[in-house]
Amino acid sequence: MSSSATASSVPVERTGIETIVDEAIAAAPDCLRRRVILPAIDWAAVSPAKVALLLSTLAQSRLTVPRWLSKLLLVAGHALPEDLERTLSPGLVALNRINGASASQKRGELSGMLPALCADDQLEADVATVLVQKFAALGWEEEAVRLALAQRHRAPVILKRAGKAVTAHVDHLPEVRLRLIGTSTTQTLADEFKPAFAAIGWRADVTQADFGTLLANLMRPPEGADAHVVLLDLDGFAPQDWRRSASDASDLLAERVNHLAAALREFTAHSQAPLLINTIPVPAAPAAGFLDRSHALGARRAVDLINRHILEAAEQSKQIIVIDADQALASLAVRDQSDAKLWYYGRIAYSADAVRLLASSFAEAWGLLKRGPAKVLAVDFDNTLWGGVYGDDGVEALACGEDFPGNAFRALQAECLRLRQQGMLLVALSKNNPDAITAFQRHAGMLLQADDFAATAINWEPKPENIRKIAAELNLGLDSFVFLDDSPHEREAMRRLCPEVSVPEMPADPAERPLWLRRLTCTWPLRLTAEDEARAVLYATRREAESAKASAANFEDYLKGLEQHLAVSHVNTATLPRVVQMHERTNQFNLTTLRSTEADISALIQSEAQGLALVGRVRDKFGDHGLVIAATVAIDGSEAAVQSLLMSCRVIGREVERAFLGALIDDLKRRGVTRVSGDYIATRKNAMVKDFYASCGWQPAGGDGERTSWVFDIGAMEPPRSQFVTLDWEA
Amino acid sequence: MDALAPTALSYPDLAAIFADIFQYTEPLTAETSADDIATWDSLQHIALIRTLEMTYSIRLSMDEMMEIRSVGDIENVLRRHGV
Repeated sequence: MSSSATASSVPVERTGIETIVDEAIAAAPDCLRRRVILPAIDWAAVSPAKVALLLSTLAQSRLTVPRWLSKLLLVAGHALPEDLERTLSPGLVALNRINGASASQKRGELSGMLPALCADDQLEADVATVLVQKFAALGWEEEAVRLALAQRHRAPVILKRAGKAVTAHVDHLPEVRLRLIGTSTTQTLADEFKPAFAAIGWRADVTQADFGTLLANLMRPPEGADAHVVLLDLDGFAPQDWRRSASDASDLLAERVNHLAAALREFTAHSQAPLLINTIPVPAAPAAGFLDRSHALGARRAVDLINRHILEAAEQSKQIIVIDADQALASLAVRDQSDAKLWYYGRIAYSADAVRLLASSFAEAWGLLKRGPAKVLAVDFDNTLWGGVYGDDGVEALACGEDFPGNAFRALQAECLRLRQQGMLLVALSKNNPDAITAFQRHAGMLLQADDFAATAINWEPKPENIRKIAAELNLGLDSFVFLDDSPHEREAMRRLCPEVSVPEMPADPAERPLWLRRLTCTWPLRLTAEDEARAVLYATRREAESAKASAANFEDYLKGLEQHLAVSHVNTATLPRVVQMHERTNQFNLTTLRSTEADISALIQSEAQGLALVGRVRDKFGDHGLVIAATVAIDGSEAAVQSLLMSCRVIGREVERAFLGALIDDLKRRGVTRVSGDYIATRKNAMVKDFYASCGWQPAGGDGERTSWVFDIGAMEPPRSQFVTLDWEA
Repeated sequence: MDALAPTALSYPDLAAIFADIFQYTEPLTAETSADDIATWDSLQHIALIRTLEMTYSIRLSMDEMMEIRSVGDIENVLRRHGV
């Protein structure tokens, strides 16, 4: 980024700049000490000969090239002498190798460095971006894609630098069909799913449910999804109405939450697919100051309540995985987790950075579900479970215990015990004489004991061979092994010879390892105890037995509890603009997709005998949904024809449409109409209403191709009604 | 990087930004607007705003988000932010 910015800066006299550069190089030692001028030079425009001159000038003054200057030179495309590499970060070392002569022959070497670069959380955004760009330019597509996907959080633009290779790579991955439902706009998350799932080896094919249809979608989950994802946010899920009293608001929230919990349970009765849902993160600002977490009107208290119910519902099902949003977003300050203007602009609840992190968490949850948590932790001894080398230093000298620095190693042993308690098997994999196992007993600071290990391979054989033997012994696949070793060479050998084994990049600093291990997703359990497991099975069988009748009853209870009111009125000058807008925008619940204009509708309703335009407003106990359903009908004596009938997806699945059609027929009857006809015209998006007329008791009356026609005999047939919708006529 | 060839733009980075976000590689002028770029829809608009904020270390307001409809608008906004 910096290179492109400077490379193209204001066109000042070339010779002038060149003079300054020459002077700066001549005065390099002084410039370096004061850190002036050199940082401002566009090194991409300086010849390699001059850079060499700069380096030799510095060497003559016995000055080492500082990291900042190395970085500037490397990002600008220059190569540095190899002896400078020891001062460089891994990213810069890789860049130096690529900038150097015969880069194209170093693919193997750079591939070996790749896992470390991918896992490097210190890799600077510009360095990562340049690396990906160079990989892509050399035609090393796999390396470019892997690094770009791994480092996309640090530098979002990096994926674009990898170019078409990303698309090609993603095309070859197995597909996962995701159904995304949200209480806010889900598009930004849908977009971010592509790289997030690609990073764990899946091609995400995302369909998004309509805004506002969360409960309906959970209770009646559509077929054909491998996983359902629910994106929750506080304002979308539980908007505040400050006219309500505290107790009223509290009741309403409790009810919303109960509906959600019931819908989650309902979901598991209808679908076998996993459901991934996030908790709501800490609110961006308190609604009740210091009382926010305790008072009924507190935002944080609402969040706590909602989350607790989600977690309880999830506990009863193996299918539901809850993403702890506070953990997922922990690297972002709360104020950076949302961007207010995006909320007002497009009801986007989370900032770009937050969406990226959430997408990764959802993807990792999916990956963990598919792969299953790892079962075996294979650990090295020297400089992993203890500090020092058993064979060289002797057992007394090993660092492990209550005091610094042995306490960091002891803490890693504690983490191994944690994983053991969570059901993983521990395996010792050490290049040592077999008596190294006695160190656990002979050294007072050790937390682990020899019998904590389910199997051991302590010898001088290659570790990949040992791990294969142990896998056979334990009768487990290599893909259920995680291998922890401080040596990059051992890790590299394991990756090459046993690619199925998970070989994470353990941090070089022992102090970072215990928490790093906690963050290592492949070791995360999906369920903790046998009782959990048994309980889940119990729930599942009980649910299956009851699901059919219970779910119907639950859904009816839900609809009844909504206390829906449909206020129907004739379209007038006040409601006409909204009705026209609905004609323009509605695609799914739209029988004919007729894009009527203001003039069309005005002309139609000029006289009562000629036509009819109805609009319905829906209100329920949670609030007013506004004008959501409309129809236009042409009347000719005793015959009428529905021209358009459409509804906003916000209220789909609640029988509003039945009640509305009933009201429409009533109105036509009052006008002396005895027979009404209507068409369904298929489009790419309106399949959901294909059988709408049939479900309301209309008779088929032929059709052709995209069009099916239906009729309703007003004298002889009973108009559709809904017991869940109270109908009111408005003037 | 060909998109960075000499132009009359005060902020040459915009060419790269437009190439990245909108896959738009024609030469930019102050008049280049959302009407000329098919991929400049409401969603990509968000990406554009975010990228401008990150690239120039500024924070744009809701008004500026509405104001920006063309390259010239972006230049005005950036100038106002002292970029």
